[in-house]
Order: sequence, then C-alpha cells, then structure tokens
Amino acid sequence: MSACPFHQVLDETLRLSDPSPDAAGARRDFPLMPVGQACDMGRASDGTPLIDPRLFDSAEFQRNPYPYYRIMRDHHPVFHDTLHNCYWVTRYADVEAGYLDDEGFNTIPKGMSNGVLGNTQLELSGIEHRRRRNLYGRHLVGQALDRRIPIIERLAAEMIASWFDGTAPDGSIVVDERDPSRRSVELGKAFANEFPIRVVCQVLGFPDEARSQFFYWYSSMMNGLGGSETAHLGIGARQDLEDYVADLVAQRRVQPTFLYDDAGDPIGKDIISELCTTVVDGDLLSAEEITSNIALVVGGGGETTRGAILNMWYLLLQHRDQFDRVRADPTLWDAAFHETLRCASSIGGQPRHTTWDVTIHGVTIPAGSLVNMVDFSANHDDRVFADPERFDVFRPDLHTGKIIRSGVDRDGRRSHMAFGVGPHLCPGAWISQQESVLGSRVLAAALDARRVRVGIDVDRMPADIDGTSLAPIGLGAIRSLWLTLEDASR
Amino acid sequence: MSGFRTYEVYQRTRPGETTEWIKPRQLTSDAYLVDPYPLVAILREHTPCYRDWPGNAFWVTRYDDVTSVFVDDANFETRSRAQRCGRDGWGRDLGEELEVLRCLERAADQQGEAIARRVLSEMEGDLATEVFARLPFELLCTAMAVEPTTDLARTYLHLRRATSWEPAARRDGLDALDRLAAWAAPLLEQRRSGDGDDLLSIVARVGGSGADLAITVLEMDHDTLHGVLANLWCRLLTEPELMDEVRGDPLLVKAAVLETLRHRPPIVSADRFTRHEVERFGRLLPEGALVRLSAAAANHDPRVFTDPDVFDLHRRDLCQREPRGQYRADGLPSGISFGTGAPSRHPAVPEDRPRSRYAIVRDLASTTTRAILEDAPQLRPADGATPTLRSLRIGEPHTCWSLPVVRG
Repeated sequence: MSACPFHQVLDETLRLSDPSPDAAGARRDFPLMPVGQACDMGRASDGTPLIDPRLFDSAEFQRNPYPYYRIMRDHHPVFHDTLHNCYWVTRYADVEAGYLDDEGFNTIPKGMSNGVLGNTQLELSGIEHRRRRNLYGRHLVGQALDRRIPIIERLAAEMIASWFDGTAPDGSIVVDERDPSRRSVELGKAFANEFPIRVVCQVLGFPDEARSQFFYWYSSMMNGLGGSETAHLGIGARQDLEDYVADLVAQRRVQPTFLYDDAGDPIGKDIISELCTTVVDGDLLSAEEITSNIALVVGGGGETTRGAILNMWYLLLQHRDQFDRVRADPTLWDAAFHETLRCASSIGGQPRHTTWDVTIHGVTIPAGSLVNMVDFSANHDDRVFADPERFDVFRPDLHTGKIIRSGVDRDGRRSHMAFGVGPHLCPGAWISQQESVLGSRVLAAALDARRVRVGIDVDRMPADIDGTSLAPIGLGAIRSLWLTLEDASR
Repeated sequence: MSGFRTYEVYQRTRPGETTEWIKPRQLTSDAYLVDPYPLVAILREHTPCYRDWPGNAFWVTRYDDVTSVFVDDANFETRSRAQRCGRDGWGRDLGEELEVLRCLERAADQQGEAIARRVLSEMEGDLATEVFARLPFELLCTAMAVEPTTDLARTYLHLRRATSWEPAARRDGLDALDRLAAWAAPLLEQRRSGDGDDLLSIVARVGGSGADLAITVLEMDHDTLHGVLANLWCRLLTEPELMDEVRGDPLLVKAAVLETLRHRPPIVSADRFTRHEVERFGRLLPEGALVRLSAAAANHDPRVFTDPDVFDLHRRDLCQREPRGQYRADGLPSGISFGTGAPSRHPAVPEDRPRSRYAIVRDLASTTTRAILEDAPQLRPADGATPTLRSLRIGEPHTCWSLPVVRG
C-alpha cells in the first residue's frame, strides 16, 4: 500500500468527502432541461448512457420525460429498477406483446388501486376477468351508447351555455374589467372536470341528489391511490361511498331503474341496477363488489377523459393551423382525439406481473416481478411513429378509425397504446372518445355560433423554465387550461 | 402454470389498516439514512407488515416475524448478489466450499490479530477509514496470499457496490468484477498445480476461473466486520463511562460486540422474495414479492428486549451464542445482524466444519477491540469530532464513516 494509502482509495471510490447531492440519499434534484433534451446521468464504460432510477421521482421527469424514454428504448429496453423493485418495458413491440400475453404477464391483485378501488377486473385474468367485464361493458359501447349520444350532446350544450348566461361554476370564468367582451375561462372547472363524470353517473344510474358528495368521494379516491401520501383519505372515502351504495343496492335489488333514450324509450337497466340483479358463480354481487365496479367505472372514466379533453385543446391551440382545419371539418375531431392520446395521454401505462421467468432483450425477469408497461414510451417509439414528439393530427402512421381489441396494424397505420390492447383494452375507450369528440364539437360549434375567437390565456398558464413558452404537458394531463374568449367580430 | 390464477383472492385495505404516521418516501429519505430507528419503530408498532408501494416491498419489522422468515426457505428465497447485479451464471460462488470456508477461518483466526495490530500502528488519525474499513481488505489479501496493492484496493471497494441501484456505482462495480476476474486468472493458472492453502490455490484446485473468484469475493460478507467495529468504537469514544467499563474488564468486550450487533447492526435490513403466494402476517404476499426484513426494527422490538433502545453491556435477555433463527440457545433471542447471511439451522456445528461466519466475525471484532485497547490505551476522539452513524446510500451499511482520534 505504498503508492496510495487505503483511506484515500476509500474516499475516492465511495466519495466520502464529496458534498455533491448526487452522492447522497435516494432523492436527487435533476436539473430542469430544455424540453426534448436529457440531462447527463453518466455513461457505461462502452459509452451507453445510464439511467438513474431516482429520475422517476423527479420533477424533471414529470415535465420532460420523452428524451429519457428514448434512452431507455434505445439502450435499456427492459430496465431493471432496483430502487423501486420493478422492470420498465418501453418499446412499442414489447408493450404490445406483453398486453396480448395475459398468461405470461398477469394482472393478479398487486396493483396500486386495490386499497381504494377494491378488487376490480383490472386485477383479474382469464374467464373471471371476461365474466365481470361483460357485466356492464355493453353499456359503454355499440347500440346502447349510440342511442344515448343525443343525451350526452345535450348535457355538453347545457354546460357550455352556462358560460354565457352567468351560471357557470364559481371561479371558472373571469371577465376582463377593461374589456367585458373579453373573458378567460378555465376549461377544466367550466366543463371538462365535471362533464365526463356526469355522463358516467348517468350510465351508472347514480342518483343526482348525491352528485356533489360523489365528486368529493371521487377526488379523494383518485388522490389516494396506492402509493400516494393521502392513501388513508382515499380509503376513507371509499368506505363512505360503500356505505352509501349499500343502501342504494338494497333499493335497486327490489326496484331497478332504467336508462332512456332521447325519445323516452327504455334502453335497459342502468349499470348499478344491472349489477344488483346480476348473478356471478350462482350468487348476487355484494355491495362491496358493486362499489368496486362503480369506483372503477368512474375512476377510469372521469380523470382520463378530463385529461384527454384538456390535452387535446391545449395541443390544438398551440398548433393553430391544425386547429383551424379541425374546426372547418368536424369529422377530424376523431383524428385529433387519437393523436392527442398518442402524444400525451392521461395514463402512463399498466402494471403486469410475470407468471414465470421470462427473458426479454437479455434481461431475465423472475416470476412474480412487477413489470411496468410504459404506454407513454410505446406511443413515442420511433420504430412505429415517425418523428414521435411532433403533434400531427394528419400523421399517416397512426390508426384513427375504430378501436379494435387486438390493435390495428394496417396500411402503415398502427393504433396508439393509450387504451392498451388485448383482453384488458380499456372498456371505456369508446365512450371516452364519444365524450371528448362530442364535447369538443359542441364547444367549437357554440363558439362559432357566438362568433367567439378562442386562444390559450398564456398569462394564467404555467410557463416553462425559459419563463416565456408554455409548460410542456409532460406525464399525464395538464391540471387546468385557461382559454381566452374574444369577440371575433371586432 | 405456477402463479397464474383466475380466481379472486384479494385483501382490500380498510380504514385504519393504513397508517398516517409514516409516508412511504420517508423510508428512502435522508433522515432514514442517518437514523432509521424512529421510522421503523412506527412500522413495527402500527403496521407490522407494511406495504411500501413506491418501493414495491413488504416491510416486516417484528422480531419473531423477521426470524420466522429467515428459517423459512420453503417459502422465501434469497437472491444472490450476482443475480441482483445481472451477472447470474457468469461465475460460480465457491463460498460454501469447505476448503474455502476453512481458508477464511484460518486467515481470521491465525492472522487477524496481527493484521489488526499492524493496521492500527500505521493509522495516522482516523480509526474508521484507516483501520476498520481496511481490515476486511487486508484479511482477504492475506487469505489470497497476495500483496495489498492500491489497484487491488480500488477494485475491491468498487466491487462492493456492484449491486447498487445507483447506476455509476453499479457500473464501476461491474467493471471491478471484470478487472478482478482478469487479475485473478493468471494467478489461478500459476497456483493450480501447487499445494498452497491460500484462497487462490484452493479456488484453482477446484477448477475455479477468474470469474468464479470474482463472484466468490462479491458474495462474501465484508460489511459486518467493518460495521460492527466502527459502530462499537463510535459509541466507546463518545461515551467515556462505557469506555472505562470495557477497559476495566476485557471480558466485557464480547458482550459489547454482541450488544452492538443488536443495538446498531451495520446491515439494517435484508431482502427475501416469496417463492409462491404466501399468507403471513395477516396479509397475502403474492409470488415474487419483495419482503424487506428490518433488523433495525426487530432488534429494538420491546416484545423481545427490555428497554431495547438502551445500549446495555449487562443485558440478561440477549443470547450470547450465535443466532439460529427461531431456535434460541438458552431460550434467549440474539441480535439480528444480516451481513452474516441466514442463520444456521443446524442445532450444532460438527467438529470438522469451520465455525460459522458469524462466529468468526464476532471473535475477530472482539480480538481487534482488545488489541486497540492494549496498543492505544489513551485513545480519545480528536477535538471537535462528533462521529455519527449513517448509510451513504439506501441499502448500504449503516455505520460510522469517520472516526478522527488522537492517541492520547
């Protein structure tokens, strides 16, 4: 040990005296980078960029995830994250294969949701899953949905009319004091937060008088999923909802209620009434099971669709030329909806668990491991979508037609992964598309009819790190969207 | 189809079953690195099997629960370090070979004390970095019968972080693994035909390659010897009355070592994985679940130890023998210190087998402590020094990384 004393080698290798924060604990402040650029996390000896798992808890990743997902797809397509004890699968082809293989990648109840939502079909597989999913899936698609479209449209029209007759929700509209013809509207508060939940509550047959209470339960539950620090509030809210539903179930078992179409003809029982009389394995569903289904339908149908509407308007208004073409041809709203979900959807991906040991891209994943299928990354995989970071309603490689369970790969067009594929394809995909598209069409038409010019109220929206440009959407959906409405005739 | 289930089994967390007293991110916070004890005590007293969602783990914190998992090989598996760093199958772990065990026992028992005295005599001012951290390395070099060079020290220290979740440390660790294998290969070739009883000759004779040696070193426990000495001396130097008591009665040294392993174990938790779905601790643990066994919590379990937070040399409720899972010699529980691996489940160690690694570490720590007491009787902390324990990173040993001293 003549060349260099041991304690100096110790100091050098363990960086004992290095005060830099990245040498410390399990939190690390990553620098906020310009959108699209990754910060340096070091390189392996062969030059491969490294991924620091602390990244996933960072603000930087939350706002600027895509350059990091690109590194993962290109260099670590199966990333073993030993800090969070999971594997991240990021390429489109691998995510798709995982979703389609529901035996090898199962959904047994280990998910973040089961404390709050309860045991739902999200966490069942095979026949059990199909049986439960079919209980109400048909309410959300096909004829049953088509017949209710006028009702959904009318609801949207009523909510948007309130912007102009002074009955909009408090705090959602601010009139410019100097120029009363100019006003700012928060699209979330004024429309998108409530609209999908009201649609879903109607399909469920949830009583109107409990609606305001329901919003409280709903938001507590959404904020209290699994790993969050407010989980105990979510669990409490879930119990309150269940207590309420128990009474409701007792009534509906005896006296079911029905959904009606616009002409007043019954379409069928609403979902809660349907569940109250459904027999699974020779037994009626309990109030607890019914509550879990309600929680899942509303949890799946509220937050996600809200996010889709906000993200779609945020992206379109930042791409004015595309916005103008969509307004000129309302059939393009469907393409805008799908491109929004490809570009920035509300849900990042789904957890799966390996049923047996599996080796992907040289990484062996032991049986029972948590595998995070990253939809965000699959949707930005340039092996499938050219120039994936660009928002383009007219992109030629995205399937924007009917959503199909097996996914679509036809004429050079692929479906996006926001709804997943395979047996667990989002059962609310169709209704959420209808809500987003119909709602946006009604909104655009209402603005046209009143000769109102719409734009983003940049003064009320968060700015990016440069202080001027609009903040990126990042992971999930934006929290709010302030629009300016101006008299176009001036 | 193992683990594939279509029937419905679940537990919904109900009000009151989750705790508001602790937030999961606290378990990876800087506060946990410095002092995990108050945090894991909350888990132990409120949610003995805590579902840590962000870390995707179940924390088990009560003494009896922790030891019950250790002895339960049928339901819980240990994953090797090679597996954790993605080098499964790259080299063999020869650490269980009888000759290897004997060789390591010989190095510790016959040369450990001399090494300790030599290293101490070369110390300039920091007991932790210059003596305790160095000791396992010197011991390994002695066992391998090679010169302790700077390069080898660097490789050795990097190697210990090959399982880190931190990417740079892991990269350096994996590179070190390759370097150690390349360094060992020609030496093994040289010694293959000889009749030496050093580690390299033994590995060579059982047909081991450079990679096998590297994996064997990777899987060895280095942290317990370093950690228990640093933690014990941190306490002795900051509590003069305790120091006087130990100086006055060298027979107390072994008790001090054991009490340190209980009171401040250097390895604060160990991970096991369920082999299949298991119902335990009032919970359904799915197949492949990570079960984090907290030694810090278990060793301070008031159900087992009286006044568990007190460091007590004269503890009547601590077993003076090696822990053997739920088997308690003399009916007393031992402190859990994991670096030594799962406790032996054999009721007795046969005469012809080397002593357990736990016993070797315990004895060498005692020998070293007595040697320091004799060779540096006036040792005291340097002025202004306030030595404390901390883990450098989540998952790394909780120990004293700086112990500035003067010889009196």
